[in-house]
Amino acid sequence: MTSTTTDFPFPPHHSFPPFYTLQPVLSTRTSQLASWSHLIQAYCRHHRLFQLSLRDAADGPLFYNRALGRRLSLKDAREVVEWMASKEGGERAEWVGDKERDRFWVWWRRPEEWAGVIAAWVEATGQKNTVLTLYELTESDATASQEFHGMDPELLQRSLQILVKRGKAQIFGSDDSLGVKFF
Amino acid sequence: MSTPHRIPGLSAFSRTQITAAQYASHGRTLQETHASSLQTQLAVFQSLLHQFAVTHAKDIRSNPTFRAEFARMCNAIGVDPLASSHTARGAGGKEAGGSFWSQMLGGSVNDFYFELAVRVVEVCRDTRAENGGLVAVAEVRQRVQKGRGVGGGMEVSDDDILRAVKSLEPLGSGFTILNLGHKQMIRSVPKELNTDQSTVLEAIQVLGHVTLSMLRINLNWERPRAIAVIDDLMADSLVWVDKQADETEYWSPTFIHDTGGQ
Repeated sequence: MTSTTTDFPFPPHHSFPPFYTLQPVLSTRTSQLASWSHLIQAYCRHHRLFQLSLRDAADGPLFYNRALGRRLSLKDAREVVEWMASKEGGERAEWVGDKERDRFWVWWRRPEEWAGVIAAWVEATGQKNTVLTLYELTESDATASQEFHGMDPELLQRSLQILVKRGKAQIFGSDDSLGVKFF
Repeated sequence: MSTPHRIPGLSAFSRTQITAAQYASHGRTLQETHASSLQTQLAVFQSLLHQFAVTHAKDIRSNPTFRAEFARMCNAIGVDPLASSHTARGAGGKEAGGSFWSQMLGGSVNDFYFELAVRVVEVCRDTRAENGGLVAVAEVRQRVQKGRGVGGGMEVSDDDILRAVKSLEPLGSGFTILNLGHKQMIRSVPKELNTDQSTVLEAIQVLGHVTLSMLRINLNWERPRAIAVIDDLMADSLVWVDKQADETEYWSPTFIHDTGGQ
């Protein structure tokens, strides 16, 4: 990843000890889950992460506040992700592989939102009806200032598929050298 | 006072009565002149205040410190800027009714407070799930200042927030100002706290958090009493639990946003 890692400004919740204990009272817990969801999305957006692994992130600054000596347990973190993935949580996460429940997509933008962003960029730069490679889209200098620069290839494919379905793009080529044409 | 027959030997007494009456009437005259002169002074002062308010309307609206000073001045001479001071209760009219602010400034300052009140209500509602409807005045100020969306922020002081909350009173909104320790809080859920609950919340404001044994030792409470109070507070989202401490700790969510002043 090319992202320049400046420090992520953690929200005040992050240094509030009870934030790391899932609250037993339902209304409090809902607000807490929402705050966690916000935090995870903002953190991933800042570091341009598209997926997280709970096990890998367990000791990272997101779930573990070393200074405070508090961490969100694996079990509780799973519940946070489950909530994010639910309708109530706005479907802001999705497990990668249902069984394991370890890796998950963090939708700080959902695939359809990404599709919109890409389509808008194509429109704005007058590149309709030209052929672009997928590699170009996310890795070339031309997109360096775009949010989708450096995007996870799988996510890119998913987003483009949405445009394909809407009849706004066509993907061709094979595995290594995929190209896309926008209409 | 119809005493037809005189009782002899009491003339001296009636004389003192007369003197007393004379003193009293003289006193009254003095008082009246004094009062009327005061009234004139007050009238002069009020008209000056009016003039001042009109000339400085813009500053009053835009500058929170200036506004606070002006409000303090009004309070000092017994004018409550927000209460409708001149007209009969229940009129609620637009032109004639209006508060001191609106009469002085054509409503804009008045509107300022009502607009602010709306923001305060919004903040309280947005954060209610997190804090159970108890939020520090300073936090509300920060949130209002930050605003939402483009150009949403308002330049306000704590004093403005308090005034805005007060302006909600006639609506029976249930918004009240509560003093907890050194902090002023806005309570937006019209539910009374009992003495035990207030005591615990106050202790949390001072100490940062409490544990059951802290309550037992410092307040001499039996364990069941302490548990009951904590459970009640938790049920109302007024307290969050931290189970990762040595002994389970209970914190107030108002600390989440407490960044020490600013």
